[in-house]
Amino acid sequence: MRLPALRDVPRAIPREDDFSSWLRSPAVTARVGLWLGITFGLAFATGLISHWAQTPSPWLAFPTSPSWGYRVTQGTHVIAGTAAVPLLLVKLWTVFPKLLARPPRGVRELTLHGLERVSIAVLVAAAVFQLVTGLANAAQWYPWHFNFRPTHYALGWIAIGALVVHIAVKLPIIRTALTSDVDSTAQDRTGTAAGPGVMSRRGLLRTTWAATGVAVLATAGSTVPWLRHVSVLGVRSGTGPQGLPINHTAAYRGVVAAATAAAYRLTVVNGDRQVRLTLADLRAMDQTTASLPIACVEGWSAGATWTGVPVRHLLDLVGAPAGSEVLVESLQEHGGERVSTLAGNFSGHPHTLLALDLEGEPLSLDHGFPCRLIAPDRPGVLQTKWVGRLEVTA
Amino acid sequence: MRATRVALLLLGLAAGGYGGWRLLDLGWANTRATLVWLVGGVVLHDGVFAPVVLVVALLALRVIRSDRLAPAVVALVILVPLTLLAVPELGRFGARADRPTLLDRDYWLGWSVLVTLVVAAVASGTVARRLMTIRGGDDGSRDGGR
Repeated sequence: MRLPALRDVPRAIPREDDFSSWLRSPAVTARVGLWLGITFGLAFATGLISHWAQTPSPWLAFPTSPSWGYRVTQGTHVIAGTAAVPLLLVKLWTVFPKLLARPPRGVRELTLHGLERVSIAVLVAAAVFQLVTGLANAAQWYPWHFNFRPTHYALGWIAIGALVVHIAVKLPIIRTALTSDVDSTAQDRTGTAAGPGVMSRRGLLRTTWAATGVAVLATAGSTVPWLRHVSVLGVRSGTGPQGLPINHTAAYRGVVAAATAAAYRLTVVNGDRQVRLTLADLRAMDQTTASLPIACVEGWSAGATWTGVPVRHLLDLVGAPAGSEVLVESLQEHGGERVSTLAGNFSGHPHTLLALDLEGEPLSLDHGFPCRLIAPDRPGVLQTKWVGRLEVTA
Repeated sequence: MRATRVALLLLGLAAGGYGGWRLLDLGWANTRATLVWLVGGVVLHDGVFAPVVLVVALLALRVIRSDRLAPAVVALVILVPLTLLAVPELGRFGARADRPTLLDRDYWLGWSVLVTLVVAAVASGTVARRLMTIRGGDDGSRDGGR
């Protein structure tokens, strides 16, 4: 058997015209692309909100209400990314022949073609990257060497930028496609069949919407309580000690001894003023009960009822002025959630608590015993557990 | 429209440029690790996933009876993306003994149930359409069906 000569290889690669499916039409691409653009827009906007919520001292204060705000935006972030998976795969399928288009002749045409190719390569690379890393992060799987949060944030800007450039380039085609019938052949590539083959365009679109719906229903129960029993692929069933899931246990963070020691004291510091409180001291103070969600950056969330001492009451003990910024430190020595900053509007909120009880029982060790921070409209990673120290910083 | 397109183009370039600057600002080691995944994603889609889909489609056209092709496509368009996005759960890569409330479902069981439900729904939908067509109703053929 003779191997094909190298000059035969380009001829063996299919050409754009070799693809004749009636379904690979701009009429289909634009309709799937519209919804894909909406999911990416939602993921980008909610991603910005999450970045803002996690910025320690933002120039514009993150709001404390509604208390369920971050729960909704971050749940939307992950749901939108999940919904984008079937949409992206179908959309890329409809345009796959374009990948095999041979470059045009002529310097100007070749340059424009090359630039568009680069912009699409950036868009596809960033889109796949965002979905893959986002879904892996939701399941706390980190098989990479980059820093997830800032990298995912940077790529969010790149993905949305490349998407907007893509829309700018394709706008006339998009507009014609969306204002014409889905069966219109006006913008089809040469070589496209004149009528339906295996299925109709409407059939493919309905199937794509169904695939998107199934993907969302199968996963959204991690944050939407009434879907909990439907979402068989959700990262969490929503159960755990005291009815609430846990990210990191006390044993994992190495705080069991410090958190259960009889010598435990909560230190509250404002300049040279300092008080040290035992757990009994905290229990003797006025308690407030509030229903607040734990809403994790990974997209899962759950509501709970917490009872504890408002942080503002503790700040009063050291004479901290209204609107003080407070650094909350955990007993844990490692981990990204070891410290968090309470901006002035959070530290003064009546429902920003050092919680001692969860659902009417003392906090379990894994939920942050002896006391944890819980505040409205705040990412779970900033709801510091096993709190050892509050320090007024501004 | 020209002004809109130019404005969108500039806006997109600015946003993308800002993202690029944020990425480079994280240091070269981080950028290099990111590039591996960026390029890897495109290679996996364009070089592996898409060709596999093409080959499967060509085989299906020869192997599957023509009136069963559309139901097969419907089932695969729903189930393949669903399976891909469930890879972190099915593989339980992020699971750890000391993190018992994460990945705390039987994902293969859930996945099997979903596959069964989707296949059953597509099959019963196909049968229902065929019955309606046989009875002389035009619902099954009006829009070309599936």
